[in-house]
Amino acid sequence: MANLLWLQGGACSGNTMSFLNAEEPSACDLVTDFGINILWQPSLGLELGDNVKTILQKCISGEIKLDIFVFEGTVINAPNGTGEWNRFCGRPMKEWVKELSDAADFVVAIGDCATYGGIPAMAPNPTESVGMQFLKRAKGGSLGAGFKSKSGLPVINIPGCPAHPDWVTQILVAVATGRAGDLTLDEFHRPKTFFSSFTQTGCTRNMHFAYKVSTTAFGQRKGCLFYDLGCRGPMTHSPCNRILWNRHSSKTRAGMPCLGCTEPEFPFFDLNPGTVFKTQTVMGVPKDMPTGVDKVGYIKLTAAAKGMAPAWAEEDIFVV
Amino acid sequence: MNKEASLADQSQAYIERYGVTPAEASHDMLLRMIEDMFADGLVTEVEPFPETDREFSKLLDVLRPLDANALREKLVISGWLLEPYGPDQMRCQECMYFLVHKRWCDLPELNLPAKADWWCRLWRI
Repeated sequence: MANLLWLQGGACSGNTMSFLNAEEPSACDLVTDFGINILWQPSLGLELGDNVKTILQKCISGEIKLDIFVFEGTVINAPNGTGEWNRFCGRPMKEWVKELSDAADFVVAIGDCATYGGIPAMAPNPTESVGMQFLKRAKGGSLGAGFKSKSGLPVINIPGCPAHPDWVTQILVAVATGRAGDLTLDEFHRPKTFFSSFTQTGCTRNMHFAYKVSTTAFGQRKGCLFYDLGCRGPMTHSPCNRILWNRHSSKTRAGMPCLGCTEPEFPFFDLNPGTVFKTQTVMGVPKDMPTGVDKVGYIKLTAAAKGMAPAWAEEDIFVV
Repeated sequence: MNKEASLADQSQAYIERYGVTPAEASHDMLLRMIEDMFADGLVTEVEPFPETDREFSKLLDVLRPLDANALREKLVISGWLLEPYGPDQMRCQECMYFLVHKRWCDLPELNLPAKADWWCRLWRI
């Protein structure tokens, strides 16, 4: 039996909603098949008020062993570093986060807000939001760059807006069943098993990427979304096209450009007008190249690919 | 046709010369119309090249409301040329909006036939 406590800071509850839709394994499977005891969760917990506070205090004191502490949402520091804008059970949430993280064997940050700050930490960041151990790409965050939980691991980051439900439940199962040693984390503390490949990996539009045929308007059933519609699939680490959403689709498969929500910089360009759903270019060349590709190589590749593109690449192939 | 001619006048002029307006013209007829305009001395706004996406978007905002028969305006605003441009010899062939087999510019705001060695300032790779 592994005790799990889930709290929520500056968040929209999107990751809770995502978690409740998990299928492999499901949230119920965590309890019935994998021995996870959910002490409290904002949408599932039965306790209210002082009864919640008692659970938290017992976790901190050690009276209740806290195996896994899950946090969703940013850690809010406003105003002036006090955290008073996000009070919970009689004190700033940031104080609960610190003490519970110190008490837990494992700390898991769910979603882009808890991992890197996400949308709330976007400039001008009025809530003084930070992630658990990062603020965007900068190490530190709420717990500090050197933080390690009792298990010896830093905060395990599962980013996404929201995180895919199965990323969440599979990591929780790994931790709860004693297989945390199998987890390797990348430089942003993301489990490599999910975040080494790109969103583009498995994208059904890859053929159009290869032949440099662009989708030029929403709704087109041809073309790659990278060239004109701002898709960040070639630069974003996620398994969105390997572990499909609702078991059968993904943003890019549905014609929606990847927004790069598993990367620390999300949302890119601070959502300035004209930066969303539009590939940013300088003198007609994309500002952000596919990972590992330089400008000269990109231009050469484009010339070769367009010269070799077959006629079918210009037709709608995802027909109904 | 001069710049001041109304769209209706322009359409009538197309009909008199080609028997059809640009909106109804075939691919080859549109190519001919474009080439004829340049042969008649059409000068387009090649500069400034939209260096940023904001500048690029402003051009699209001007082009978007244009009627399909406003062929001349489309060519002028987009800085259309019948040859490669610049020291890098940029041309439609490498542009993301150019469909090689259809010989067509797929940028919705232009939506015109094009040739591989042509260029316009909405070029992007």
